[in-house]
Amino acid sequence: MIGPAARAVYFVRTSLRGIAATPGTALVATGTIAVALVLVGAFALVVINMQELVLRFGDAVQVTAFLEPGLDPPTREALVDRARGIEGVAEARLVTEQEALERFEEGVGQGFALLEGLGENPLPASLELTLAADARTAADLSRVSAALATLPGVEETGAGVDWVEGYVRALALVRGLALGLGVILALATTLIVSNTIRLAVLSRRDELEILSLVGASRAFVNTPFLIEGALQGVTGGVFAWLLLYALFWLVLPGFEFGLELVLGGASPRFFDAAESTWLWVGGAGLGLLGSAIAVWSESRR
Amino acid sequence: MRSGAERGVGAPRAPVVPVASVGEAAAQLFHVSKSYVAGTFALRDVSLEFARGQLAFLTGPSGAGKTSLLRLVMAAERPTDGQIVVLGRNASRLSPRSVPSLRRRIGVVFQDFKLLARRTVEENVGLALDVVGTPRRQARTRVFEMLKQVGLQHRRYQSPLSLSGGEQQRVAIARALINEPEILLADEPTGNLDPDLTLEIMDLIAATAVRGTTVIVATHDQALLSRYRSRTIRLEGGRVVEDRAAPGGGP
Repeated sequence: MIGPAARAVYFVRTSLRGIAATPGTALVATGTIAVALVLVGAFALVVINMQELVLRFGDAVQVTAFLEPGLDPPTREALVDRARGIEGVAEARLVTEQEALERFEEGVGQGFALLEGLGENPLPASLELTLAADARTAADLSRVSAALATLPGVEETGAGVDWVEGYVRALALVRGLALGLGVILALATTLIVSNTIRLAVLSRRDELEILSLVGASRAFVNTPFLIEGALQGVTGGVFAWLLLYALFWLVLPGFEFGLELVLGGASPRFFDAAESTWLWVGGAGLGLLGSAIAVWSESRR
Repeated sequence: MRSGAERGVGAPRAPVVPVASVGEAAAQLFHVSKSYVAGTFALRDVSLEFARGQLAFLTGPSGAGKTSLLRLVMAAERPTDGQIVVLGRNASRLSPRSVPSLRRRIGVVFQDFKLLARRTVEENVGLALDVVGTPRRQARTRVFEMLKQVGLQHRRYQSPLSLSGGEQQRVAIARALINEPEILLADEPTGNLDPDLTLEIMDLIAATAVRGTTVIVATHDQALLSRYRSRTIRLEGGRVVEDRAAPGGGP
């Protein structure tokens, strides 16, 4: 009996032989997977970039605590530390009266003359709390705001709960769309791939019959088809990646103005190494799943 | 050995396989019926026993049930009724997972050869060894020896399509015999061959019975029956109408 490694070599060789025997069918299967993955990949790129944009907006989700006047610096620092300890708070920062005034000046421009008439700085010092990505909900915002209000030296708290609710809804919509369309595209692709690989199975029915006659087990007959599907899937994934890469760098710059409107000045990015690997693994998975469905349905005939 | 005709077709049924007799014969059929369409029988209440090392011919007109009987013995199908014991295993109750292990002990030869055109002669014969996981080098040696036995070692790298009908059938026989099967089933193995090649192929097949393999050959060819003078089972309309033992009581 041969060992597992020799058997694996045999199966891979049989798979490659199968692909060489029906190159047209193999090409159609690989092309189908590549096209499907280009669609999925293009959509994923849009989603990734949109999500990053939405996450950037999320950094602006803050709770502000206005401090009582006259607190000495050590007390203020102690308040910052205690604020950082509240669950869901990613960062707490002290904004002094002077800093607040400078911001105001930057914000209102000419209107700053109104404050000059007051003589002294009327703006209070404050704490600005940024929430962790998983705590940017209206409930968390209210909870953090309430916890902050109990701290001695905090005069008033403010949080844009309405705005946060809108932000959370936008994020959920983008993620939901990504998931829904991703699932639909994956299902459609699996169906197409399984039918294409089924053609390969049918075109080699004589071989399967002979294998069965000489006592081949179902696993022995089916394994090369599964490997064939996975190989076609990986190849389709690589082709899809190359096509997306070309489209991203060659075609996208032509839509620079429109992109700026959508992304608000942020530059779009391509898949990183991990995401690219997922595209190839996804291709292999689709090919494998498609061929598994094909051989399963054929073996039931 | 008792045959169906000797027992009398239509005798009372034995619902359970008599275990004591299992193992003495290569294949036993107990009141086997096979129906593909409701109300129509390809085989009807057939009881037969094939001894180890026996050469037996199945004969009869087209549609008599010869191929159905062979398919039941190789566990390609299950009987509608009755029991079949092949090499000590109840083929009528065999799970799909267990069928391959039985098939590896049975060689099969068909009228249309069933060779893979895209593979060489060597690969076609070696297929049966691949299935049982024979190491590559050992497999090549065994295939060469087997092809030498059927006189085709010089053709081993050629496509089956480049061979004559007789040569293709010899390749099919080599593939069927490479794993030294305990039973060889041949379904009209000479149906596509001219008379000279017919004798050549049949001599090859008959020789395997001499080496201890049970050989069951389905054929129309009356000339073969008279030449080999072995056990002959005649089927008509799915029933055994004659079961003539080999003259002199030999196999």
